[in-house]
Amino acid sequence: MTRYAMVIDLNTCVGCNACMAACAMENQTPVWKNQWRTYVHDTEIGTGEDIHRRFFPRLCNHCSNPPCMSVCPTGATYQMDNGIVRVNEDTCMGCGACAMACPYDARYAVTYSDVKKGKEFFGAEGFLRKSPSMDKCNFCAQRVEKGEQPACVETCVGSARQFGDLEDPEDPIAKLVASGTARPLLPHLGTQPNVYYIDDLKRRG
Amino acid sequence: MDVTTSFMTQDIWTWWLALYLYFGGMGAATLTTTFLTDMYLKPHPQLVLWGAWSGVVMLSLGSSMLFLHLLDHMAVIHVLNPMVLINQPHAWIAWGTQFILWMMVWGVLYALPHMMESPFFMSIPIVKDVLRWSFIQKTGRTCREYSKLCGWLASINGIGTVVYTGLLLQSFPAVALWHNPGVPLLFTVSAFSTAMAFLLLVLNLAIKKREEDRPLRVFYERVDLILIAVELVILFSFFFYLQRGSLSASVSAELLWNDWGWLIGFIGFGLLVPFFLELKGVIKGWSTPIPIMTASVLVLIGGYLLRHYFMYAGVYVRPW
Repeated sequence: MTRYAMVIDLNTCVGCNACMAACAMENQTPVWKNQWRTYVHDTEIGTGEDIHRRFFPRLCNHCSNPPCMSVCPTGATYQMDNGIVRVNEDTCMGCGACAMACPYDARYAVTYSDVKKGKEFFGAEGFLRKSPSMDKCNFCAQRVEKGEQPACVETCVGSARQFGDLEDPEDPIAKLVASGTARPLLPHLGTQPNVYYIDDLKRRG
Repeated sequence: MDVTTSFMTQDIWTWWLALYLYFGGMGAATLTTTFLTDMYLKPHPQLVLWGAWSGVVMLSLGSSMLFLHLLDHMAVIHVLNPMVLINQPHAWIAWGTQFILWMMVWGVLYALPHMMESPFFMSIPIVKDVLRWSFIQKTGRTCREYSKLCGWLASINGIGTVVYTGLLLQSFPAVALWHNPGVPLLFTVSAFSTAMAFLLLVLNLAIKKREEDRPLRVFYERVDLILIAVELVILFSFFFYLQRGSLSASVSAELLWNDWGWLIGFIGFGLLVPFFLELKGVIKGWSTPIPIMTASVLVLIGGYLLRHYFMYAGVYVRPW
């Protein structure tokens, strides 16, 4: 069985935001209202002259025990056998319970007005969305099905993002996770996230 | 992760969701209380009509708050289908929607025989014609025959609705203020307290103050007094639970216990003042109903404030 996961190396993310742009184009997200499936936080850490700029990319963690799925009243949020958590926009009524349940701030609303605007922004013929929903990253499932990498991974200039199969012991990301080098966010919440981070070594001194 | 930590409150479910929880809890508790009163304490058709219809109106108001804020209104059909309980048994909104729906259905059926005998309902133009339809008459007679069954089905769904309002918030694991077993308990106690307050206003204002209802009014006052006391104990526990433990909890504690609206508005005027007004009423009595009515109004305002502040004080700890 495949279990897709992502490892993000905080040491090599340069904050170019190419991942955000690639994702927005691939998944037609409502960038006009600053909503993204993946977002790179840009902060300054330190005091006095010892200050570092630090970048923190985040996205849906495709949890093995996803709270967004268990609270979804219509079943619009579902998990594929390969672990990818997806949203069926036809059955999502947009109550927002998933956004309330998500500890990783991965959900955002796509409204009727965004659907209309999307047709203008991305072109009426190429725009795939038909109805509003609480949107989120789907690990570019449409690309993964074709054997490609998610758009954010493929475009990452610092190779900060790696995508692979946790169930394959020879997969580099499986090794990083098994060795404890890459660790999940907020593991105490029991969501069993499948996005792992390699700590920022600069900050740890 | 050895990373930056930030704290965030949410702006997804705000005052309108607090209204949904408030009207949902109070409406369901009102209907349940009046039906149980009618079945086991004192047959009271007028109270049943008030309970059933104010319950239905409150739940409609509350549900409309959620409905209006949905992104895709047509997709609500998926959650109205009772099969949702088989497909999504772990989603509390699915349970809540079904509880609300069936509570309204059984509530109206329980009240139907009383409506057919009510001079008020039989004087409303279109309603009186509908109530005279043979199908409705037959349904009314069947409901009278099986009134206990209708009453219990409505009450079970009513209690389900009340508890659901707390379980809904409890299902969000990232926020310590919400994700604990105290929330359903607190919201249940608060919902029944606001229902008692509402019914005390109904008994004092809408249903002409009848001497034979006096024991019922006293009973509701006593129950409300106990419920307020229990609510205070639960809040006392919340205070200490939030002080120590997770970051999310302690930041929520800071938000709540440094807010005058929560301290003075909710705990002061929404709980303590009505508690003492009702305590004096129970121990020594009041010569006029005004203090009890004042206490009831304060409890009603307090019930909303509790949910309002709960929604705004839920804190997410973000690892970035």
